[in-house]
Amino acid sequence: MSISVAQDRGRGQTGLLLVLLPVALVATLIIWPIVRAVMDTLIVTGPDGASLSFASYRFFFTDAHSMGNLRITIWTTAVSVSILMAIAIPIAIYLRFVTGRTAAVVQALAIFPLFVPSIILAYAFIRVLGPNGMVDLILGSFGLPRIRSPYLTPWGPVIGFVWDNLPLSVVILMAGLSNVTNNAVEAARDVGAGKFAILFHIILPRIWLSILVATSFVVLGLFSAFTFPYLLGPAAPEMMGPFMLRTFGDVMDPVQARTQAVITFLICAVFGWFYVRSIAKNRARREAA
Amino acid sequence: MATLELRGLTKVFGATMAVEAFDLDVGDGELVCLLGPSGSGKSTVLRMIGGFETASSGAVLIDGQDVTRMPPERRPTSMMFQSHALWSHMNVAGNIGFGLKLRRLPRAEIARKVEEALTLVGLAGMGERRTDQLSGGQQQRVALARSLVLEPKILLLDEPFASLDQHLRERLREEVRDLQQRLGITMVFVTHGQDEALALADRIVVMRDGRVQQVDRPDRLYRHPETPFVAGFIGQMNLLQVTVAGGRIAHPAFDLDVTATDGPALLAVRPEALELIAGEGAGRLHRVTDFGSHAVTEIDLPGGERIKAMTPEVPAAPPGTPVTIKPLRAHLYRDDRVIWSSDAMSRTSTRAHAHG
Ligand SMILES: Nc1ncnc2c1ncn2[C@@H]1O[C@H](COP(=O)(O)OP(=O)(O)OP(=O)(O)O)[C@@H](O)[C@H]1O
Ligand SMILES: [Mg+2]
Repeated sequence: MSISVAQDRGRGQTGLLLVLLPVALVATLIIWPIVRAVMDTLIVTGPDGASLSFASYRFFFTDAHSMGNLRITIWTTAVSVSILMAIAIPIAIYLRFVTGRTAAVVQALAIFPLFVPSIILAYAFIRVLGPNGMVDLILGSFGLPRIRSPYLTPWGPVIGFVWDNLPLSVVILMAGLSNVTNNAVEAARDVGAGKFAILFHIILPRIWLSILVATSFVVLGLFSAFTFPYLLGPAAPEMMGPFMLRTFGDVMDPVQARTQAVITFLICAVFGWFYVRSIAKNRARREAA
Repeated sequence: MATLELRGLTKVFGATMAVEAFDLDVGDGELVCLLGPSGSGKSTVLRMIGGFETASSGAVLIDGQDVTRMPPERRPTSMMFQSHALWSHMNVAGNIGFGLKLRRLPRAEIARKVEEALTLVGLAGMGERRTDQLSGGQQQRVALARSLVLEPKILLLDEPFASLDQHLRERLREEVRDLQQRLGITMVFVTHGQDEALALADRIVVMRDGRVQQVDRPDRLYRHPETPFVAGFIGQMNLLQVTVAGGRIAHPAFDLDVTATDGPALLAVRPEALELIAGEGAGRLHRVTDFGSHAVTEIDLPGGERIKAMTPEVPAAPPGTPVTIKPLRAHLYRDDRVIWSSDAMSRTSTRAHAHG
């Protein structure tokens, strides 16, 4: 009896030690810097000591340039996610329900960008769609007018993001689709459901959580993304990633850079809260069974 | 309600011949079981009737109308799957009413029909439950209600109770049989349990390797198996390799007069059709098992075969006792067809002659 109690306690301590490490890591590497950054933006140290001030936030929200950058970031995120889902959902559904050689090729193509670093994707993009890129050369050789390259327009990063995030989104959606059994789909056809009815009444309700997960991954990634907006996007307005770096490095205004970071973080946090809440809700619903 | 005709139905998956030249007529209100071992093509036949698999060749006719190329959503059939076919994001009423909703019936009528269907399968008042709040048996009842609510001409069931325990399976089987007779619905029921087939079916189709072995009433299937496979598959059967010479089988353990040409053949004798005489003979009693209602005696024959005999009384003889066996009823097979049968000789032997 006493031995088993001692063992239980030992196990409990081991468990505590195991969670201690990640908790400590999260605290020192994430929570603390966030707290530091928020404090830095709120506390101004003047000649007569430290005082609370919202000046840096007031500047950000009144500065047309900063607000333009925030807006373009939100626009890019919204457009990228919409296009991404519009492409990824059909691909995932196709891969779930079709087997054979063509499906294998599609799968390989869809997953391939996962193994290519974004910077290489960015340069590949410039080589193909940029000025004097492959498309231009091909059009030119037929005597056709050149394309207006999306390179250096807000569409540049959008195309890059969609490309870069497609594999992960497809993989997440396919994991969700594996919950939809063949029998469930066939039973729907059996009672008279056509393709659209199956999509809207059987498939989408089962994978909306996966769609949410994929969307969250992309949104959180895009907000702090650097490579694509830096390499492919316009110089002004620019997305928050390059904007922060420039404010910090070139403009040498670390407080403003931190303010931008905190605002970015808060927007992501709101999204993250939605995400966590709907997952928790879903789980609670399931466990109520 | 409806009749079903299958004409030369064939399905090839790559190099696999899943179903070959399958012919079957199912009458109005009849319940036909497809019975066979795993991989014999039962599900494939059913899925071709339901439209989930397109036939490589052949035709499916419902009430005389060719539906071979029709997709499942337009066929007057309904299929009940083995499991995992309920939509877990809808409640029970949602599952049953989905087909009606697609047909744009008024809400009140859907609700009424759903409740009717629920009552039919013994789940009245359960409409608001979520599907994961149901037991396995209840889930299959919901699946049945979902099929019945659309009043299909033909109900197809693919081992619908295979995932349930023996007791529940027997109960649901009885209920399906009752419903089928009450509603007069035409049914094709796939199973690989012979008990299930014998208990349910008006007629049984025994399948093997994608081909029909025999189509017959349950009682005839048991008493007149037309192939050695059916003989061995339905119930218990002793199969012995024998030689026919001059209208007689001279086995070391017994003699038997038959009407067949000379040559090797396969003799099939049911355990209950064997008479035992203990005390002398070429057989040796190996073991007796007392089942209360009857006893099963295992006997070793000189050729090394071991056969079983079923008797009402327990033989009072110790293992090793010499025994004589006497087949009371038997069937003789050659080239996979029956060539002689001790009773009903007229029918099977004329057929055997017709076959060559
Ligand atoms: N989609 C498919 N692709 C390739 N081969 C298949 C497919 N479906 C079935 N088969 C093959 O066809 C044959 C018949 O399969 P089927 O599922 O009809 O058997 P079954 O009698 O229903 O068996 P079980 O009792 O195990 O359900 C098997 O050899 C199987 O491997
Ligand atoms: Mg099967």
